[in-house]
Parts: sequence; structure tokens; C-alpha cells
Amino acid sequence: MANRVQIPTSNSALIAMIADEDTVVGFLMAGVGNVDLRRKTNYLIVDSIKQIEDTFKEFTTREDIAVVLISQYVANMIRFLVDSYNKPVPAILEIPSKDHPYDPAHDSVLSRVKYLFSAESVASGRR
Amino acid sequence: MEVVDHETPSLENGKTDKEVEENANVLQFMDSMDAYLTLIHSLSSTLRRGWLELASARHSMGASRVNTVLLDHTSHPAATSLLVTQDERKVDSGKPHFTLCKWASSSNENSLFGEKQSSQDKLHPQLRHRGSTELYEEKTSSENKASREVDDPVQKERSKSLSMFGTLVSPKLRAAQLSFEAALETLVEIANMRSEMLCAFDQVNMKLAGRKDEK
Repeated sequence: MANRVQIPTSNSALIAMIADEDTVVGFLMAGVGNVDLRRKTNYLIVDSIKQIEDTFKEFTTREDIAVVLISQYVANMIRFLVDSYNKPVPAILEIPSKDHPYDPAHDSVLSRVKYLFSAESVASGRR
Repeated sequence: MEVVDHETPSLENGKTDKEVEENANVLQFMDSMDAYLTLIHSLSSTLRRGWLELASARHSMGASRVNTVLLDHTSHPAATSLLVTQDERKVDSGKPHFTLCKWASSSNENSLFGEKQSSQDKLHPQLRHRGSTELYEEKTSSENKASREVDDPVQKERSKSLSMFGTLVSPKLRAAQLSFEAALETLVEIANMRSEMLCAFDQVNMKLAGRKDEK
């Protein structure tokens, strides 16, 4: 009860993207693209690391975004930011890209839970 | 080797309620993790198909016609969005549930139309008993018409989404669009499985922490 987290519900939340050109174009064809009155988009075709950092921080603080898709190789560039993020919404999903296949070892969610499979955690549970 | 706790009451098979619950949490965590990895694998193959179809479309239409320069930068809402709700099964868990609303701007209008029709039927049930056979034929033809009406706006939205690449587009581009739509559906399942996995992980972690405190 003390740790109850309030989920921000929404009936028209956006899917944001930080990915390479082909991935962004593909998902834009599927209709996820949004441009607001200030010409701010919900997607970024990756360019510089500084821009990726700023965009990630922006997308994770916007209230109208429910899911952020980020190519895993892009997430690796800002791994410290991605791993330190722990809110339920927006959900950060690391996706493969054309030139970089998905690697479960780098996924931030799997990294968070993998210690359960380590010998130390098993040994400490048995003591 | 299993250690039986003599302080807590035990069931016939030697496991306490607490141990059964812990095992259930661990199983749920393992299942959700397995499902998460399976869905990621499925997503990878769907995306690969989409990228290949997009590359084929770019090859047939020309690189200048399938380009990010042509993206629509004028103000417009997303046609595909998400419905985010609290997971109804566990209100206190803080677990979100995501539902994809594809081409929602067109399909929402049609679903509202359908709902309004059904509510009118409920208000005037007596009218529906006259000429039941004719009514049945009218109803099936109206249902068919409604499903066509739902599909047409969706097709219109799809065509509108591709219109930034020109009026006549390669069939490969349309195929790529469908592949990325399928990838979106998988991504929403991944998002739900992710939140389920993290919730189960928190449960297991809490039990482990509790066990360490007891010792």
C-alpha cells in the first residue's frame, strides 16, 4: 500500500521513436507520427549523441507519450540514462535496427532482472 | 535440498502457503521473461521483413521518392495511438496496460456510430419483432455494410499516410506499411509483457528481501 504507484492513464497516448531513418519512416507509415502546433514531433531520426540525450529526456517527461521506442544501438550510446530510468510510463522498449541486431545482454529491463539468475543471489537465498 | 520451516504450519506435501506463493511468483516471472524474449524475436523478424520491403520500394520508386525530406512536418495528430489503463486484475500493483488503437481517428467514429445504432435498437425493441425474416436480411446486409464502412476509412487513412511519397506508390511500400503495423502490435504486447515481468520481479525481490531480513 505504501509503495502504490499511480499510473497516468490516457485514451490517446503517443508512441515516440528514437531510431534510424528506415525504422522511423516505417513506423510513420503505420500512422504513429504526431506533430503538434509548435511543430514538435514524437520522433527523432538519430544524429548526434547530445540530441539523443535531450530527446530521450524530453520524451520521458512528456505526459502524452506512453511508449518510447529506441534502437538498441542508440540506447547503448546513452546507456547510463536508459538504465537509470525506472518509471512504468512511458515504457522504454529497446528494438533492433537494420545494422545492429537485438542483444538481450544489453537490454536495460533484462539487466535489471538478471541478477536473480546469478550465483550470488541463489546462494544468498539458500543461506 | 528443501528445508522445512517448523515454525509455520505445513501442508500435506511439505510446502507452506508462503512457499507456494513464492513459487507461483517465480513461475510467473520466468513465464513472462520467456514470453518477452519470444516476442522480441518475433519483432525482429517482422522488422526485418519491413526493412526489406522498404528497401525494395526505394529501389523501384527511387531514393528521392522514399525519403525523410518528404515527411509531413505540418501540425497533425497521430492516426495510431495507445490507450493506457491501470491493470484491472491488480489495482494496487501500479502496472499499466497498453492497448493499440490503429487508425483510431477513423475507426472511433465508426465504432461510435455502431454503438449509437445498438442503443437505438434497445430503446425500440417492439419495432424489431415485425417482419422478422425481412429484418434479419436487412440486419445482415447492414452489418456487412458497416464492416465495409469500417474498412474504407481505415484504407483511406493508410493511403493518406502513404500520400507523402506520392499518389502512385509501389506495392512493396504498401507491404512495408502492413509489416510495420504488425510490428506495432507486437510492440504493444512486448510493452504489456515488460510491465508484467517487472511486476513479477518486484514480487520475487520483495520475498527474497523479506527472507534475508528474517535471517
